[in-house]
Parts: sequence; structure tokens; C-alpha cells
Amino acid sequence: MMLNRTASSFLLMELVQGMALTLKAMFRPKHTINYPYEKGPLSPRFRGEHALRRYPNGEERCIACKLCEAVCPAQAITIEAEPREDGSRRTTRYDLDMTKCIYCGYCQEACPVDAIVEGPNFEFATETREELFYNKDKLLANGDRWEAEIASNIALDAPYR
Amino acid sequence: MPKLKIDGVEIEVENGLTVLQACEQAGVEIPRFCYHERLSVAGNCRMCLVEVSPGPPKPQASCALPAGEGMEVTTNSPMVEKARTGVMEFLLINHPLDCPICDQGGECDLQDQAMGYGNSGSRYTEDKRAVSEKYMGPLINTIMTRCIHCTRCVRFSTEVGGVTDMGMVNRGENAEITTLEKAVSSELSGNVIDLCPVGALTSKPYSFVARPWELKKTETIDVLDAMGSNIRVDVRGNEVMRVLPRLNEDVNEEWISDKSRFSCDGLRSQRLDKPYVRNAAGKLEPASWDEAFAVISAKLSGAAGERIAAIAGDQCDAESMFALKGLMDALGSPNLDCRQDGAALDPSVRSSYLFNTGIAKAEEADICLIIGANPRWEAPLVNTRLRKGWLDGGMKISVIGPQLDLTYDYDYLGASTATLQEIADGTHPFAAALKAAKRPMLMIGMGALSRDDGAACLAVARKIANDCGLIRDDWNGFNVLHTAAARVGGMDLGFTPGQGGCDVSGILNGASSGAIDVVYLLGADEIKMSSLDKAFVIYQGHHGDAGAHAADVILPGAAYTEKSGVYVNLEGRVQRGRRAAFPPGDAREDWTILRALSAIVGKTLPYDDLPGLRKAMHEACPHFTHIDTVEPTSWEDFGTIGDMSAAPFKSAIENFYMTDPISRASETMAACTREFILNAEGATGTDG
Amino acid sequence: MVEFLGIYVYPTLWTVFYIACIVGPLLGSVAYLTLAERKVIGWMQYRKGPNVVGPFGLLQPMADGLKLLLKETIIPSGANRIMFVAAPMVTFVLSLIAWAVIPFDSGLVLADINVGILYLFAISSLGVYGIIMAGWSSNSKYAFLGALRSAAQMVSYEVSMGFVIITVLLYVGSLNLSAIVEAQSGGFWNWHFFGLLFPMFVVFFISTLAETNRAPFDLPEAEAELVSGYNVEYSSMTFAMFFLGEYANMILMCGMTSLLFLGGWMSPFDFVPFTWVPGPIWFAVKIAFCLFVFLWIRATFPRYRYDQLMRLGWKVFLPLSLLWVVLIAGYVVYGGKAVGA
Repeated sequence: MMLNRTASSFLLMELVQGMALTLKAMFRPKHTINYPYEKGPLSPRFRGEHALRRYPNGEERCIACKLCEAVCPAQAITIEAEPREDGSRRTTRYDLDMTKCIYCGYCQEACPVDAIVEGPNFEFATETREELFYNKDKLLANGDRWEAEIASNIALDAPYR
Repeated sequence: MPKLKIDGVEIEVENGLTVLQACEQAGVEIPRFCYHERLSVAGNCRMCLVEVSPGPPKPQASCALPAGEGMEVTTNSPMVEKARTGVMEFLLINHPLDCPICDQGGECDLQDQAMGYGNSGSRYTEDKRAVSEKYMGPLINTIMTRCIHCTRCVRFSTEVGGVTDMGMVNRGENAEITTLEKAVSSELSGNVIDLCPVGALTSKPYSFVARPWELKKTETIDVLDAMGSNIRVDVRGNEVMRVLPRLNEDVNEEWISDKSRFSCDGLRSQRLDKPYVRNAAGKLEPASWDEAFAVISAKLSGAAGERIAAIAGDQCDAESMFALKGLMDALGSPNLDCRQDGAALDPSVRSSYLFNTGIAKAEEADICLIIGANPRWEAPLVNTRLRKGWLDGGMKISVIGPQLDLTYDYDYLGASTATLQEIADGTHPFAAALKAAKRPMLMIGMGALSRDDGAACLAVARKIANDCGLIRDDWNGFNVLHTAAARVGGMDLGFTPGQGGCDVSGILNGASSGAIDVVYLLGADEIKMSSLDKAFVIYQGHHGDAGAHAADVILPGAAYTEKSGVYVNLEGRVQRGRRAAFPPGDAREDWTILRALSAIVGKTLPYDDLPGLRKAMHEACPHFTHIDTVEPTSWEDFGTIGDMSAAPFKSAIENFYMTDPISRASETMAACTREFILNAEGATGTDG
Repeated sequence: MVEFLGIYVYPTLWTVFYIACIVGPLLGSVAYLTLAERKVIGWMQYRKGPNVVGPFGLLQPMADGLKLLLKETIIPSGANRIMFVAAPMVTFVLSLIAWAVIPFDSGLVLADINVGILYLFAISSLGVYGIIMAGWSSNSKYAFLGALRSAAQMVSYEVSMGFVIITVLLYVGSLNLSAIVEAQSGGFWNWHFFGLLFPMFVVFFISTLAETNRAPFDLPEAEAELVSGYNVEYSSMTFAMFFLGEYANMILMCGMTSLLFLGGWMSPFDFVPFTWVPGPIWFAVKIAFCLFVFLWIRATFPRYRYDQLMRLGWKVFLPLSLLWVVLIAGYVVYGGKAVGA
């Protein structure tokens, strides 16, 4: 026992074993997928770019309750609100600083009306920083563009909530 | 002194307390909605149920049950807990779950107590009740579906507010709080918003704009009247979103007037945010601080001391007045005054310009004479004290002056000085009533003192006080009812004409006659500006009001929420306000402007920071060190007996909702003026 | 004039030409070593490595070089400007001038000096100055800590490296690198790798890892603790010079290993067709193999702790190499191996 251990220690057996392992790995098939031509699967719970949704009749869902603003750990959300002409409670400003956002998903968890959601889009890189300061129009436009995917994702996830 | 056991702990309480109050003294919290310590007991929400033995084998409402000898109260038994959950479930049957769009969300009693005592679900599956919204004026927003019928608002408006506008109609499920589509015509109506335990009554100007958790709360002092109400200013970013009352039993209890509460939107409009200098064409144009100071310095260096004058406005903090007085003394000017309305107050005797009885003690008086004042408008929270005294203690109130609805009954003695003279001479029967009273008081308002014969009125009032026994060892019944928050502070600091100096009327006359060249207005807007046309006017203040329009140089200062300052209220209580927000743009705290100016004109004031200034101020006025106390004063001789005109007294305030630059700039106050003042006068919609 | 040309100008031009012949391929190798590193480590981690720029990612080094060239050079406001700029140059130049004494084939060497091995050893020791200068002049705690670690580490391992070289010198009996290689001629079984010096090969190879600050001894750069060590404040070309210098150093160390233990330019078998292959190719193949082992080790082993590193250097390698010096000296004196043969 003692001899074996000393011998293997002197002959650097553990190091050799480790190197054999990595050498074997070198000839195994690779897991890399050829992004952007190939893409991996996304879970319905994937938390990507944010969107503000509308009801089917076109009315925006957000009611300016500010729960997302309050829960946001990165303080990326800024909301200002006032009564709209018809007296309903709506935001006049819904700013989301995507450079601050940590994509934790608390905002969509906090939202009582499923207005702010994190959609499946993760390819929203921009050339300037300023383009990542989303305002309400941008978020609503996102919502309109991704509504089909977002709705199906919410439906898929619903049984587990 | 009944002895009872609460949750096994024995406690002895005063006579007449309820079980709920006894529990509170024992440190046990009882949930409640309808019960409020300043209102009568209603006992209709049933949230405060406790188990009491000996007694019936069912939970009892602790708010309506007097504490009795030998009671054993249990507040945490399964029975009590089940009762609370049940009550909560009942309350939530008809309460909508619209917390996300409710302004009360985050500071809601129902929300909190549902979390603390409620069940996680409801067994009620039927449709909820919906109630149409009611109109309650420009201040109160109603979402009556949320109402849980605690009737706090009804009890407040009838008991404290003294108006019978609010009430509950119908019964059972159809019960509704309503004002019958009429605005609540009380100066204290905003307090029902605080009282409402749910979001049924919310603030209209504040609706939907902010959440309680995003507000920075600063405890400070209100300056819109002379009460010195303790307030909390809620700020988001650098914007004052709302003003709420703070508890101070000696001053405002837990109420504030609508003007104090709702004129905060005036802090956002008409602000002076950079210095202005009047150019050769006679137009005010923006300038830098250096340019503005250079213009002032050029004017001041050429002027002799007696050709310079200063007037302090009604909302100045003591620090800025002290700094301005220091600067004027250094420049050799005796012409300074803090009494914009020309009130004939005697700066040499402190008791001659104070509300000597004290605000809290005023409710103990058994007879009260109001001279030339409308306390309901001039100091609404003094008026609630009088109403409380009238309601609870049978205080007899008499009025000489305008005949108005003061929310309590009074004997109307007359409108003018003739009646006053009769009482002073002892020929009026009221003099005898005063002499016979145990704790008599009189209250003389600015409506009397700011007249030309104000000094004579003051002297007569003093004579009445002396002759009718209003001054005793433990009681001083002589009261001056101020309307300006800065007045008592200014008088204490001696911001009054020095040796050979002019008072306000003297300054105005001097300016129009050419005897005074430079007038420094420190937030003074209530004087006759046309008299200042010939003089060089420096206006330092926060709003583009009358003073700014007449000015040749404007120095932008800070409003009361934007500076730390000491204020002295009408009873002489020294209180310290704290800064809640920063002044807009280039505007600065007022004393710093004066300090900087003093260095430029070569008369540098001997302090560099606020503690240094306060130290100097405390040396000049030692009682300013005693924060939140009323310094006792001695009763001395004051006033000049003279001829009084026979003209009837008028109130000093014509429109409660617009008395100062802040409230004049406020949209909410404009809406109130339209609703309560112009409508009451029968004006048409084209007035304004 | 002709004399002047003959004595001074033409030799100088020849030398410049030789230098270009060495430095040009060397820099090309450095560029492709970076690609090879990413590829090999990628493969060992079940990845493909860079494969987008050019076929199989072969243009990746050009893209990286261009990127570094075009980036902004940032000199921290608190830095000592002269030292800060000089440091990467020192590192880079030192890593190149060592190549002067490396023989690529019999007689194919820029400067066939008698004490070539000492020259190499001296130059590689000087390398620490560039790093110390960088760490100190950056005026940043991370850079400074990295430089301190690097200096301590290089100094420690140089001691045992020195003893390893002494064993080889004793064994061969010459300080001339060409002579050392010649001593290993006649088939791979004559290489120092096989035989008495094998343990010294292991010690030397591991010490070169430490000397070049490579994994698992890359504590000076330790991203996790020091963000990047002594070069944390560097960007653009100044960073590129460090980078090039470091990789050129790796190649140099592998070259040294080949010369000392793997028979330099000698073919492994002393008969056709192996002898048809020119010597420099064999030398390059051996260097490439050593470099592959460098990368292989980086892909396999986690980073050492600093105290472990020091323990290994001072308490294992130093006694072992000292012992081997005594052993080899004894063998040389009593074992019949003639000195200078």
C-alpha cells in the first residue's frame, strides 16, 4: 500500500491520469452548436428581452401599480403615472434600463396583470448604449411583435403555477 | 381606577377608558377600522372583537366596552382569532381586490390587517357590490366600492370639522357614504383622506402619481398659516408629492388644514429658479449670481444706511430674517419690518403679540371673546380647539367683528369698535360675564390690529384683559391670532424698526417720496408694490408673485420644504423644519444668499454655516434654543390708548385658499377657490 | 570604402537578414500558437474553438491582431508613463533576443557562442524586469500584486532550473548549445530524455511552466483574484506586446527543452528516410509537441495555491535537482564518461 502510494506519487500518476482524460476528451464529438445558424432550444420560462403586453382589444395592460418598479433589485424600472383622460390609471412613462437589468424575472412575477413580461428574444444587441434605454413605446412595440410567442409561453407554463 | 387582566397581565387603568384603550396601554394591539381615539365610538366594523369574562360567551367589541373592575380580557384565544378572520372575510366580501390600482395600496389598514388577521381565501363566490362614485369636491377622490362603512369620515366632518355635509344613506347592503353631490365645505376636509382606512377616499391631486414606498419622508413644519402645524413632507426625486400631518398634541393634534395639505403643488409652478436683473429696457432678464450681486453691490455701496430698507415676508424662516437683520445692521439701516400688513404689534413686550393661552389650553377656556378675526380661516386648527371647547366643555363664545359661520354657536356682540369700547369701560353686560368666568380668554385678530387704529385696538384689548381678570397667575387669556408663520419669529428676532427707523408704511411712503432708495424684500409679496416704483427693489423669494414683478433684481430663494429653518408659531413655540427637497435650478437656501451678498458688499456676516448662524441667533435670542417649547412670558404694559374709527372689523383673509405665493401658484387651491369662494358668492364660471 | 562595406556593412546586413529570418517565422508562430491554444483547449472541453474567421478559424489571429492594433492605448493617470510604456517593450525584446543563440541545425545559428546556455539563462532571468516594471508603474494594486507574485515565482524556479542545466552541462561537458545537441546524436535513445536525466527533464519542464507563468502556475495573472495581474492596466498594442512576449517566451522555453533533452534538430532515427528530413523541421516538430503539452496541461490542471507553488519550488525541486547534480557529477567522475567527449 505504502509502496504503491509512494510509487504513484513519484511517477506523477494522478497527473498522468488527468492528462489522459483531457486527451480522450479532445477526440470526442463536440457539443458546440453553430450559432447563429443553429440555435438551442428555449424553455417557455426563458427570460429574455422585456415587453409590455396589450389586451386583445388593444388596451395596454399596465395599470401603473409600480410593483415591478418596487421589486426590481437592480432598480432598472422607472414609472411615472397619472390619471388618463378617461380617469383610468395609466403610466405616462415606463422606462426600463436594459443595461441595469439583471433578467431575474421578478418584474413579471410581481405584475398582477401580466403586462410586463420577459419574452423569448435574446438577440437585441445594439450599437450604442442609449438604444438599450427602453421607453414605453419600445416596450409596447416589443409586446406587439412577440405577443404570439409570449402568449404561448404563458399558456405552456400555466399548469405549473 | 379599575383593575383588569389583559392576556393574563394585570393592569390598572383610568376611569372611563374602553377595553381597547386598556389593551393599548398594556401593549396589546387590537385591530380596528372604525375606532379612532379623537372621534366618537361607532362600533360598527367589529374588527376589535376580544373575549371578555365575566360576560356572555361570545366575542365583544372592545372599542365600545368600558373597562371594568376584575375583567379578564383575552386577545389571542382561538375564539378571538376566528372572530377576526370571520370579520375580515365579511369585510372583503364587497371590497374589490384592486389594490394594484388603488392609491392607498402600501399604506392601507385593510391591506395590512388582511395580511395580519385574514384568511388566504374567501368562500364568497357571488358578484361583488358596486357603488357609484360620489362627488366630494376638488380635493377628495371617491371610489365608494372600496368603502367598508366605518363612518370615520362622517364622524370627523360632523364632530371635528363642524360641517354636516357627509353622511350615510340607506341601510344594509345598500348603505352608502355620500355628500349628496356637494363638495365638503370644511377647511379640514383633507383629513378624511388620512382617516379613511381603505382607499375609498383618496387625495384628488395626488391620485395615481406615486406610491408610499418611493417617497422620502421628511418631518418638518408648515408655514401656510401661523399654527406651525407639524407636517411630514413626502418627496419623490426632488418633487414634493404630498404633505401629511404629524402628531403633535400641543399644536395640531393630528390634523392639518386643506391649505397646508394641498397647496404643495404650488411649489412646482411659478418658481424662481435663476437670478434676474431688470435691464435698461425695463425687462427682467436672467442673470448669473455674480451679475445680480454686482448690480446690488453697486446700488448699496452708494446708498446711505437710512436710505436702505428691508421687509420680511410671512413665510421666512428665522435664520434668513436674522441674516438679513445682520446685513441691515451692518449697512447702518434702521428701516426693517416683518409686519407686512402693518399690524400694530409691540416688539418690546413678548406677551403682547403671542397667543398666550396656548393652542392646546384654549379648549379649556369657559368664555371666549373673538375680536376682528375669523379663526375658521385664519387658524383652522385653533378653531377646532374652540369647537371642541364649545362641544365638550360648554365654552361660551362671543364675537365682535364679521358675522360668519364658525362651526359653533356664538353670541354676536357687534361689528365695530363701539362694542369693544363698551366692554372696556365695563358698561357692556359681557364685561361682567368675563369677570365671572373661571378661565376667560379673548382673541384679537389681524382684522383689528392691521387697521390704522390697530394700536388703539390693542390697547383696548389689553385694558379688557387687565380689567376683566383675564390675567391670572396660572392663566393668561390675552391672545393675538396671527396669520403669518414668520411673524412671531420676526418679532422675537427684533426684525422691527430700529432707532429712528421706518415701519412698513413708513418704508412705502419713503420709497414713493424718494427718501428711501433701496428696498430689500425677503419673500414679501403682500405689500402695495406700486409705492415701490421709484425705489430700487431687491426681491429674494421663491415664487414669481407680486414682489418679483416689482423687483429690479430677483434672487431665487428656497421655499419652506427646501430649507432647514426655525419657525415660531403663534403661541411662541419654537420649532425646527427640515429640508425635504432641494431648491430648483440656481435657487439657494435664503441665509446662504444673504451671507454671500454680505461678503460682496464688504459687510461679511460672521458665520459660514448653519450651525454657526444658529449659534449667533441663539446668542441674540436665547429662547430659540428651546425647540418645541413655549417660553413663559411676563405680562407688561403695552399699547397706546387712542381714538378708534367706527368702521366695522373685517377678517384679515378674504380667500382662505389663496393667502401667500405658494397657495396662489397652486392649481388645487385655484380649484378650491372656484368651488368654495366664487361659487359661494354666486359667481359664474367665467370668473376665473 | 570597399573595405568599410566588406567589414561593417555587409555583415550587418547579413545579420539583419538572419534576424528577420528568425523573428518573422517566430512572430507567425506566436500568432498561430494563440489560435492553437484556443483550439486545443476547446477540443479538450468538448468545444470547437474559433471557427468563424477564415476556414477553420485560421484567420482568427489576424483578426485579433488587427483588433488589438486598432484599440485605444490607455495610460492610467496615476501611472509612471515612461516605465509604463517601456515595460512591454522590455518583455517583448527580451523574449526575442534569446533566440540569437538557438541552433536550428548543425551550424545554423546566429551566434554560436561558447556560453550559449548561460546567455539563455541570463536573458530568461531578465524577463522578470519587464513584469516588475509593468506592475509597479501601473500604480494599481492588482498589477502590483501580480508583479510581486511573478517575480517571486520566477526567482524561485530559476534556482532549480539552474541546477537542472548544471546536470546537463556536467553530463555533456560543454556550455555550447550546438555541442549539447551534438552529444545527443544517433537515435532517440541517445537523447537526454531517456536515461539518467529523465527526472531532470520533468523538473525542467515543470519549472518552465512556472517560469513562463503558465497554468497551473499562472498565479501572477490569476483572473479570479487579480483580474489579470501585472497587465491589468494595459490595452491595445502595449498589451499585445506583453502577449507576444509571453508566447514567444513559451516557444523559447520549449526550444530550450528540445535542445537540452530532446535532441534539438536531430532526427529520432539515425537512418533513411528520417535523415532526409532537414534538421529545422525536426526541431520545429519537437517544439510544437512541447507546446502542445503546455496547452494540454493548461486544459487539465487547476491553478496552484501560492504556498503550494513555493513549497514545490523550494522543498521538492531544489533538493531533487541538487541531489541529481551530485549524482551526475559522481557518474561523470567515476562512471567512465569522459569529460568533453
